[in-house]
Amino acid sequence: MTANWDLTFLGLFLLLFAVVAALATVLPQGDRRWWWLATLLAGLVASGLVVGVGWTRSLLIEAAGFVAVALVWNEGTLAAARAARCFLLLLIVSAVCLAAGLLLVGTGRNQPPVLHDLLAVGLVAVGFGLKLALVPFYFWLPGVAAASKPMTTLLIVGVVDVAAFLELAHLRVAHAWVVTDWQGLWLALALCSMLGGALLALAQQDVKRMLAFSTIDDMGYLLVGVVAGPGIGLSGALLGALSHAAMKTLLFGAVAVAEGREGHAVTLDSRGLAATYPVSAAAFILGALGILGVPPIFGFLGRWRLYLAGVEQGGAPVLLGMLLATSLAVLYYARTIHRVWLGHPGGSDPGGEPRLAAAVLLALMILVVLLGLFPGWLTGRLS
Amino acid sequence: MIGGSVGALAAVPLAALLTGVLLELILGRALSPRGKGWVAVGSGLAAFAGALGLVPPIAGGKALGATLFPWDTGVPLRYQVDGLSLVFVLMATGIGSAILLYCVRYMAGEREGATRFYALMLTFMAGLVNLVCSADLLLAYLSWEVIGLCSYFLVGFWYRDPAASEGARKVLVMTHLPGYALLAAILLLHGRTGSFLWTDPAIRQAFTGEIFLLVLVAAMAKSVLFPLHTWIPEAMQAPTPVSALLHSACYVKAGVYLVARTYSLAPWSAVWSDTVVALGCVTMLVGALFALIQVDLKRLLAFSTISQLGFILTGLGLGTGLGVAAGIFYCLSHGLFKATLFLCAGVVQHATGTRDLTRLGGLATRLPGTTRLWLVAAAAIIGVPLTNGFVAKWLLFTAALDSGRALVVLIAWLASVFSSFYILKATVSVFYGELPAWLRERQIAEAAPSMQAGMGILAALCVLVGIAPQLLVDWVVAPAVHSLGFTWAGKVSWLGAPMGPAGSYGIAGAITALVALLAGLGAYGLMRRPRAKPVGLFTGGDPLPLSDSTLDARDFVGTIEDAFRPAYRFADPDPIYRAAWGRLTALADGLDRVVTPLVEGYPLWAILAGGVVVLALMWVL
Repeated sequence: MTANWDLTFLGLFLLLFAVVAALATVLPQGDRRWWWLATLLAGLVASGLVVGVGWTRSLLIEAAGFVAVALVWNEGTLAAARAARCFLLLLIVSAVCLAAGLLLVGTGRNQPPVLHDLLAVGLVAVGFGLKLALVPFYFWLPGVAAASKPMTTLLIVGVVDVAAFLELAHLRVAHAWVVTDWQGLWLALALCSMLGGALLALAQQDVKRMLAFSTIDDMGYLLVGVVAGPGIGLSGALLGALSHAAMKTLLFGAVAVAEGREGHAVTLDSRGLAATYPVSAAAFILGALGILGVPPIFGFLGRWRLYLAGVEQGGAPVLLGMLLATSLAVLYYARTIHRVWLGHPGGSDPGGEPRLAAAVLLALMILVVLLGLFPGWLTGRLS
Repeated sequence: MIGGSVGALAAVPLAALLTGVLLELILGRALSPRGKGWVAVGSGLAAFAGALGLVPPIAGGKALGATLFPWDTGVPLRYQVDGLSLVFVLMATGIGSAILLYCVRYMAGEREGATRFYALMLTFMAGLVNLVCSADLLLAYLSWEVIGLCSYFLVGFWYRDPAASEGARKVLVMTHLPGYALLAAILLLHGRTGSFLWTDPAIRQAFTGEIFLLVLVAAMAKSVLFPLHTWIPEAMQAPTPVSALLHSACYVKAGVYLVARTYSLAPWSAVWSDTVVALGCVTMLVGALFALIQVDLKRLLAFSTISQLGFILTGLGLGTGLGVAAGIFYCLSHGLFKATLFLCAGVVQHATGTRDLTRLGGLATRLPGTTRLWLVAAAAIIGVPLTNGFVAKWLLFTAALDSGRALVVLIAWLASVFSSFYILKATVSVFYGELPAWLRERQIAEAAPSMQAGMGILAALCVLVGIAPQLLVDWVVAPAVHSLGFTWAGKVSWLGAPMGPAGSYGIAGAITALVALLAGLGAYGLMRRPRAKPVGLFTGGDPLPLSDSTLDARDFVGTIEDAFRPAYRFADPDPIYRAAWGRLTALADGLDRVVTPLVEGYPLWAILAGGVVVLALMWVL
């Protein structure tokens, strides 16, 4: 893992914070406290990337997680309080598991593995499983997504989660045996997350909950890249994480516009929103296609590498499992696009999308398409 | 292979089209819809000129190679343009330019979406050119998806209309999901060989039956082969030029390209050949059967496209030089006549506001130019001599007989008979008979000159290629056949007759028929023509099914539906797809109902359960 990757993610997060700030300016996400907490979260994550790999970074990112809990709590509703409690529980448990697990990992590996190694890997798997909302540890994310404002959820899935994923990627490089000696476990977690996340996303009516399950689904793919390791796998995972953050920004940004203007949550009962919010609709469609890894959008760059990594790890069965999960994702995104955004408008006339929001989303759309068409300058620097 | 600056010629069509896209986006606010149309036409013509520039070196048996630019690390945009590539480049740019010319007036009223429309049309053409020219399979897949997205966005062009939105959704799901089969094939090949280049000899060794099957599945969806064909009638919600360019002439031919290209990747086994031929034959019949019962003009043409794609795939599947030549010739010919038919349908819809065959009639008097062009294209699709459709069918039937597949000839003949019926139904319902009362008061204007020019070019080519098919065969089809490794020495002469002693009889017969036709036309012209007047319908003494004295498309449809009812039930896979979707959503809902209350309601227990699962996985795996 090179400093280039850390710099790239730092750049991405700064861009993401700018987008969040712009959208939150015109589509209020909370009171003054929200702004303070969001800025604090941004600062903690950015500092963590700047200081480089080590315990300091891990602590800073953990702290950012707790700030995210506060952001959720700040919503002030009963559902948000419940979700925040759940989120806090996972953070505490995952922090304890990871701290203990990484300490044990640091003492080295035994061949053949003894209880100490089993415990180390188990604790690390549970810890990261909780943080990244992998199946079966995802319980906290859908509730948080449904109860929070879109930008709050974006900061969690696009920044905090991705930063945690970077920690896992670093671990893969520093202590490869944690993954390579237990490939079956990690692949199983990956496939369960992909397929379970996709299937549960298909059952959701609330679009934010659907996007939460989409995140769980996506994390499964990234995990395949981590299992494959340095080379095509890890580069695919890191590119995938970059595109995940970018696409979730488009998706949640679009939902933020619709939710902010309509005054209620966007669900599968909403109709024809594209007539009123055309740029947001385009952002949602592009974000969906990007998350699905459809070329020529940026998401394809990581996704084809991850599929190839799947072939390397488990041959045709793993590849087919990944493609099946993607196919399910196509179905739930297609249903959402065509029920919620396209078609005849529902009837209300809340006045269109804010210009700043439209401009920001449009700029981001152009960026992800250009990166998809001309990826060489990015992947060349990062290879 | 030729490289260097000559090889760089291969990039001209792509460059011209992408320049057009950029101009549309940059000048979008400054130009009127017509202005945007002319920019698109200019870009298309420049691309076509570039494509024509490729004909001499490729007709000479060479392939052009060039590395255009480094796309991704280890994956450069590399071109390998051979005879097969050129077929599709010419189709995309040539037919595309004619259709764009038609669009200048057709889309002149589209103030809001003109930029989007033309940018997508040009992007589609660029995507198809890139698909067929790419030496790199991953970039070919990228182009495959680009043209898929263009189709999706164009079908949903009028996205506020629920029918258009639902049509686009069906297009996305039914073409994108099978596309993963192509991606799987490419990645598995890379896993075995470490290469994405289809020109790499290692690919030949690794190209096995399961890879072929995956490629075929992807091709079936794009090229509307049974049973992955049911998206195309819904795609008729798109503007008519989209239906003409994408869903008849070019987009649906992407699968044809893919299947043909597999001849470059590996020698076909008998099983592969039989599979493709069987698929083609079933598709021929299913498409024609369903076309018979349509009363929507565009849906009728859509099902006709399905049937015609069956003819094309059958030719390719025969596995002989003549068979492949027949398939490629048919592919080109179909692009010409089907695009013409769709464009004429667009004129009818534009003029009358409807595509319903039961409400139309007598339009020959109001749209004489369009009628003439429709008749030419209709004659071509039926296979009337002097048209390219006749030559295409002649080549196909000959190839099937040569390869000992008489059953194929029988099925193709039956499908051709059905084709004649449905096209005649459409022709009579729209253009002949009495003009309905509601149309008599309406202002029905003939298509604008630029629209007629666009249609006219395509129709004229149907006749030109029908009379002198050697122009196409010698310069385009034969190089394509040779590029796939077939040593086909076949030549065709005027009207499609084969060269040689047997051919001379054919030519003599054709000349005799032509002289007789011309003499008959001359005699008719010299006669005093009787005044046309409506006559009573001759029913042979049987009572009419309706109380009025007319029969319309509905009655024809009813008769056919009664006759072939079991076939329609059996041959429609949509109920199966809907049932599968229902089961899937029920499964998802059931899982959510069981799991969510437990997992989200009892987080601590969820963590503990998760821990147990992890331990179990570590134990087992």
